[in-house]
Amino acid sequence: MPPPLTYHCDALILKHIPFGESGLLTTFYTADRGKVRAVAKGARRSNSKLVGHLEPLTQARLTLRRGRNLDDVEQVQVIESFGALKEDLDSITNGFYVAELVDGFGSENGANHPLYQLAVETLHAVSGDTGPYLPLRCFDLQLLNVSGLKPELYRCVECRRELEPACHRFSPALGGTLCLDCHPADALVMPLSLQGVKVLRLLDRSSPGSIHPLRMSENLKREVRGLLEVTLEYWLDFQIRSNSFLKELHRESRPAVYT
Amino acid sequence: MSMGHLPAASPSLARLVQELHKLPGIGPKSAQRLAYHLIRLPEDEALALADAITSVKRNVIFCQDCQNLTDISPCSICQEPRRNRGQICVVEDPLDVMALERTHCYDGLYHVLHGVISPLNGVTAHDLKLNDLFKRLESGTVEELVIATNPTLEGEATSMYIRRHLEGRAIRITHLARGLPVGGSLEYSDDQTLRRAFQGRQEL
Repeated sequence: MPPPLTYHCDALILKHIPFGESGLLTTFYTADRGKVRAVAKGARRSNSKLVGHLEPLTQARLTLRRGRNLDDVEQVQVIESFGALKEDLDSITNGFYVAELVDGFGSENGANHPLYQLAVETLHAVSGDTGPYLPLRCFDLQLLNVSGLKPELYRCVECRRELEPACHRFSPALGGTLCLDCHPADALVMPLSLQGVKVLRLLDRSSPGSIHPLRMSENLKREVRGLLEVTLEYWLDFQIRSNSFLKELHRESRPAVYT
Repeated sequence: MSMGHLPAASPSLARLVQELHKLPGIGPKSAQRLAYHLIRLPEDEALALADAITSVKRNVIFCQDCQNLTDISPCSICQEPRRNRGQICVVEDPLDVMALERTHCYDGLYHVLHGVISPLNGVTAHDLKLNDLFKRLESGTVEELVIATNPTLEGEATSMYIRRHLEGRAIRITHLARGLPVGGSLEYSDDQTLRRAFQGRQEL
């Protein structure tokens, strides 16, 4: 029996670009189908019933009609519009950051329900009381976990010895921490302080929505953020553009990496 | 694109199909149809089209003031003496200028950004005509900046970026009203639109 012509799914709208005369080519991440691209015909017209419902960073229930190449968006019902997130430029850029990473790590026709849940939870958390830093760093680490790239944080990835409570190093390519005795022929190795290891372990055990506030120095924040940024970009193989834009807003520099 | 189905004796036709296929929204089949249509056109009409394309590429430039597309700089709108030079309306692209001009309700000047900030699509503030706008405002003659970017998330982000950049400057910054479109329906409106329409309600 052929599959039904229409189907329903819960999705997080990631981005869209103009398509044809007045349509939108929309990319969204669904709970049970992974990343999907579909056409919303006429959605740029101000009197379209779809207008406003397909804005990026909106969680929605979609009805889609199967097409030969691309499916068509038939109906949209907003589940959560994340209004608080869209109130200021920093929050919007944090939202763009989440959407860009979900777009980068999510695959088409590859359902990853934990990734969908993680993205929705993070968007709720970044506009919460704890501020965006910890929920976003927790998202970074949990994103690696749910994508099957969980970094090793308790043993040296080279000699497999348990780490002593001291300063160490981190290698995105080898997938985790390195003790000071091991010197693999890996070009990308980053310094990692004892406090940095502790924060990463805390992020590993937490979720963006439930992480407790933590007092961190600016240097420690920069270290953890830089390490996760380099790791994510290593796997993505491109620079995270929304991160660059956020740094441009705050005039920050890129993290230090030594060989 | 595969050209195996085209006659090998017509490399110029194959080249035309290839060039038309590069246009947005034109697939290989549409490119072939357009190419055959152009062949069937009378020679003067086909050459007029070719001339129009050449002329656009050779003559159209950015207006030195508003960054709109024009044949002469400053453009005809910037040169009009009746325009209110204390008001600048910031829009995303040249088509928005045409849409606002059709309303006959605004007599100030414009500034065209040629896009909006959209990190997901690789567009940041440096890719837009924002620095030209900020330089233009340094003259001190502008009293009001009307931000007329589209009410999309990217449009809002661009509007917020401009506002943040001009914080503390003695310029009145306004943006177009948000709410329900004429002929729209409450039932099909999204939460954000309804919320803003409610916030911006007016006395009858």
